[in-house]
Order: sequence, then C-alpha cells, then structure tokens
Amino acid sequence: MHKQEFLTQLRKELSGLPQNEIEERIAFYGEMIDDRVDEGLSEENAVAEIGSVSDIAAQIISEIPLSKIAKEKIKLKRRLKAWEVVLLAVGSPIWFSLLAAAFAVVFSVYVSLWAVVVSLWACFASFAACVLGGAAGGVVMLFSGNTPAGLAMLAAGVVCAGVSIFVFYGCKAATKGMVLLTKKMALWTKKCFVKKEDGE
Amino acid sequence: MDIQLKRGLLDVCVLAAIKDEDSYGYKIIKDMKPYMELSESTLYTILKRLETGGMLTVHTAEHGGRLRKYYHITDAGLGRIRDFQEEWKEILSIYRFVTKEGAENA
Repeated sequence: MHKQEFLTQLRKELSGLPQNEIEERIAFYGEMIDDRVDEGLSEENAVAEIGSVSDIAAQIISEIPLSKIAKEKIKLKRRLKAWEVVLLAVGSPIWFSLLAAAFAVVFSVYVSLWAVVVSLWACFASFAACVLGGAAGGVVMLFSGNTPAGLAMLAAGVVCAGVSIFVFYGCKAATKGMVLLTKKMALWTKKCFVKKEDGE
Repeated sequence: MDIQLKRGLLDVCVLAAIKDEDSYGYKIIKDMKPYMELSESTLYTILKRLETGGMLTVHTAEHGGRLRKYYHITDAGLGRIRDFQEEWKEILSIYRFVTKEGAENA
C-alpha cells in the first residue's frame, strides 16, 4: 500500500471524529511514513511497518473519550436534511403526543407505586397513634375505677404496638424497594440513550 | 506490567528521549526501541498528554523539503525526570525491603 492510499483509508475510518483531530493524526502518520522512507525504506515497507489501518483506527477511537465522539455525533445530527425537518414538523402532533402519553403512563405507574408506599406509612402512623391512645385511655380508665374497660384498652394498645412493629418493617421494605426501582429506572433510561448512540 | 505504572514510565521515557536535544516522532520510537516497544498511536497519545501538561513544546521545522514536528522539553519536563529519579530511589528501597522479607520466610 502506498502512503496516500494509507492516509486516505485512515481518514475514512476516522470520519466520525472531530475534523482537527483527524487532520492532526493524518499529519502525524504521514510524517512517520516519510521519516521511514528517508531512512531508505520503500514506501510500501514503511506503510507496512506502521500497521494496518483498521487496527490503528480502532486504537485511536478507543482512546478518544465517548463525550467527544457523542458531541461530534450531535453536531452531525443537527445537519438534518430539509425533508427530514419537514417530516418531523408535520408528524409532531402524532409523535409528540404518543411520546407524551407513553411518558405519562410510566410516570403515573411510578407515582401510584409511591402512593402505595405512602399509604403504608400512614397505616403505620395510625397504628402507632392507637398505641398511644390505648395506653393513655387505658390508664385514665383504670384510675377512674373502670378496671375491665381500662385493661381492655391497654391490651388493645399492646396489640396495636405489635402490629405497628410489623407494619414498620413492611413500610421500610417497600420504601427500599421503591428506591431500588427508581435507580433501575434511571439506569434503564440511560441505557436507552447509549443504545441509540451505538445504533447510529 | 501494571497499566498505571507503565503509563508513568512511558511518559518519562519519552521525556528522556528529548532531554538532550529536540527530537521527532520516528526518532523517539527508534531511540526507545531497545527499552520499550512503542506504537505510533501510543506515542501520539503520550506526546499530546505531555504537551497538555506543559512538559514539552512542539515546533515545526523544515527537513528535506517537508515539514517535521520537533518536540522540545520544558523545565517542567526536566523536573518530571528529576521527580522520577527521586521516586525510584524510594521504590528501590521498598523493593529491597520486600525481597528481604521474602528471603526470611523461605
């Protein structure tokens, strides 16, 4: 392979990168080949020593941070063709409402799940209030002479205390689950974006 | 070799290759060959990193009817080499300690 052929191929393989990055790399490899030729190597041998274009391109791309590549992609994406812009605009009542509806469904499911958690906590709070009420009422009744009713209230308070402990752990688990789910949803959303980037 | 360690070594090796006189890409690779095999793309990355870090400056000069990039070490680059020498004195003494322990256990 000749130098020019090598550099043209390399330029093609690197085409997704920022322009100045490509130019600098091309100049660098061009100089590397020229210096080998100065040493008495033939152009073909000099190119062969540098290595295969695809290997070099792969290494260069792997070294460049994803953010730079993504930026370049976004730049490219902005240069939409006229008919694509028209289609996007004309279709917007359809795709936008569908997207909004899908988002609303996911969001409402998410909110209602949190609502369940909140009501569980409310349940816990009411049981805890019953404990306090039962204890206070029972003591008052005991002192006012109504022993059976006072004992019954105290017993009810103790039962409520037992139930509230169970409910508390249930609430904690439910909240934990929701936090986990939130994290998973965030990850899933990110993955969707990355997949889109890869697919381009 | 540990990647972080190798990275640091490569940086200092490239600096050492341009320490005495300004040098260019292919010559750096040739000078380092007996010690470390270095690919063009790796060298490019190292040179960029060193340039960004102010360890070297780049200038273009004509050579045989074409332009060639030359790399010149800065004071910061020379300082990096000195730091490297100091670090390795410490590492050597640790190495002696580690190998001594090994001998006693054996």
